Amino acid sequence: MKRLKYVLKRVLMAFPVLWLGTSMTWYVIYQGPVDPATNLLSSQERLTEAKVEAAREQLGLNRPPLEHYVDWTSSLFVLDLGQTWLIYPGSNVGALVVDFLPRTVWLGFWSVLIAVFVGIPLGFYAGVRSNTVADYIASISGIVWRAMPNFWLAVILLSLLVGSESLLGFDWDTLLVDLPSGVTGNPGLSYMAGDPLALFTQPGETLAAIKKILPAALVLGSASMGNEMRIGRTAVLETKNEQYVDFARAKGVSNRAIVWKHVFRNALIPLVPIVTTEAFLLIGGSVLVESVFGINGMGKLFFDAAIQGDLPLVGSLMFVFIVLLLVINIVQDILYTLIDPRVGYDAN
Amino acid sequence: MADSRPVSDDSGPTSQPTAGGSADSEDEPLLVVDELQTTFYTDKETIRAVDGVSLDIEAGETVGLVGESGSGKSVTARSILGLIDDPGRVEGGSIRFDGHELTDGSWEQHRGDLSIVFQDPINSMNPVYTVGNQIREALRIHQGLRGQEAREEAISLLEAVGIPDAPRRLEEYPHQYSGGMRQRAVIAIALACDPNLLVCDEPTTALDVTIQAQILELLDDLQREEDLGILFITHDMGVIEEIADRVNVMYAGEIVETAPADRLFDEPQHPYTRGLLASIPGRTAEGDELPTIGGEVPTPTSEPDECRFAPRCPAAFDACERIHPEHVDVSSVGTAGVETTDGMSGAEGTRGMEHTAACLLHEDRFEQSPGAATFEANGGDSQ
Repeated sequence: MKRLKYVLKRVLMAFPVLWLGTSMTWYVIYQGPVDPATNLLSSQERLTEAKVEAAREQLGLNRPPLEHYVDWTSSLFVLDLGQTWLIYPGSNVGALVVDFLPRTVWLGFWSVLIAVFVGIPLGFYAGVRSNTVADYIASISGIVWRAMPNFWLAVILLSLLVGSESLLGFDWDTLLVDLPSGVTGNPGLSYMAGDPLALFTQPGETLAAIKKILPAALVLGSASMGNEMRIGRTAVLETKNEQYVDFARAKGVSNRAIVWKHVFRNALIPLVPIVTTEAFLLIGGSVLVESVFGINGMGKLFFDAAIQGDLPLVGSLMFVFIVLLLVINIVQDILYTLIDPRVGYDAN
Repeated sequence: MADSRPVSDDSGPTSQPTAGGSADSEDEPLLVVDELQTTFYTDKETIRAVDGVSLDIEAGETVGLVGESGSGKSVTARSILGLIDDPGRVEGGSIRFDGHELTDGSWEQHRGDLSIVFQDPINSMNPVYTVGNQIREALRIHQGLRGQEAREEAISLLEAVGIPDAPRRLEEYPHQYSGGMRQRAVIAIALACDPNLLVCDEPTTALDVTIQAQILELLDDLQREEDLGILFITHDMGVIEEIADRVNVMYAGEIVETAPADRLFDEPQHPYTRGLLASIPGRTAEGDELPTIGGEVPTPTSEPDECRFAPRCPAAFDACERIHPEHVDVSSVGTAGVETTDGMSGAEGTRGMEHTAACLLHEDRFEQSPGAATFEANGGDSQ
């Protein structure tokens, strides 16, 4: 009950943030240096004042700002996302988001998962065996992963996989699951349209979609993986020297139980905000990786829309990003209360 | 020179029968620490944090270990419990518990028989588990209790240490307890291990005075009920006077004086002990400045060939810089007005002696030293 109240409070507190974020997006586009009306016109037409004025009228930019703002935000909050101005002109923004968002979320989800399930165990292992050869190997590889730039790693991995038959001795495209479309391109997620349970009922399709996204997810998650490894190692080292660990040892708790019961859960506490912050970075910052691997995701779409000043599209995508961020934040708060009892439900 | 040789040279650890110790344990105290050496190796230097400490504890007895911060008290406690981590090592001497030698790595077999209470109760408990969980963990390991049985035992333990409303308190986390309650809970966890010896490493230092008195009373009660041996470590001479039967005074990794508590407070024989006692507030005449011992405890980095207290000692004379003092029997000093006694015979060692001090002032050959006169004149207070 207490927990439900806590979560509800967090959800309520998210609404002002959502409103503030969308308002700022509107302000930056509407009052900012990019004029969507001129982008609508060809370079010839831009020269005529009348044409520009007509374009402004067409996009509704000549209306009083406050009226435009109220109109725009209120339709956004009832999820009436409108039509695009410049990117795929005139298409339904809602349909575009439904089309592009799953690919990016799929990519982000797997890159977070890979980072968490490789980085954290490796870091904990290195922390438990600090200053051994195993620790040095894990730590150095963590730093190397951390240091490799995304775009470089993406290109290298891409060329390795494309030429996998001659370079690595096996063919990536046919390994385990057949990928007829090759290494690059969109993951096939359409089988889940209208039926999210297909994720489990059609494991063949799911496996293919995972395999398709895996190289991109690995590249996108590489830096987080290194980060989480380093921070996981430090967290374990710090926890290992706590007095309660000594007390547990004096109590006769076995080494295994000390690591898994007493050290593990305490070391997770500093990792929660790292993982959730990175989760958002991955989902929002996937432009480069999406470009290299030819995935039509939100990253690229958002970038194009922002450059051109396509207010309906940028605003809607921004709205989606803010909602994602808020959801991740609420998940983080819930995780905190699950791991650390000192985080009170009724703390002000 | 024979008199000035270390006591342990003749009664070192190897000469004590350790195999089949249980037969031996009838006349041996519960815990015998003999010439314990714990050294920390850092890049810069080797620190002899515990340098030849000997003490023993009988069942049902409280033995105090006092000294300033940095004198090696806590390292002694951790050594006895086998909690010394890298870069530290227990390098020499012996720790015999109930007739069993612990220094050859057999601490794991005696976990729980020796229990510890640390200074800071909030750090002694794992913050993410309930107090009940942590008591039950010890009960499962040492008494094989599970489920409802363990819960009931945990409740009775909490009640035994004076925590009201125990069934509800069991499900609470350490941060929901107040300071004094926390230390009670830590003691309950320590007792759940069913110990014979409880090492208390400054258990009352982090608590305010009223709570401190309650905890001391609690330890006293528990000791009587369970016949616990207690090693009580503190820098608070007032606490020691209240709780200890015998007291060891520690300085720079060494024990410099050992005596029954009342005798130590009435007839301190080592200048350091005198300094410590003089610096207890309330013992000086009103209006007088509280005497202190100037300077700091040195960090012992090499084998001593001098008295480590000499640089701060008001009664030091030139021999103190050259000769490392050995423990001599001072049991009859003071009351009878006798200045010194004959040195002890090495074969007997210090065991069985009531009151010993490691100070050249008490050795025969320095009877006429100029320092002794000054020392007696000002009663050991520093300038």
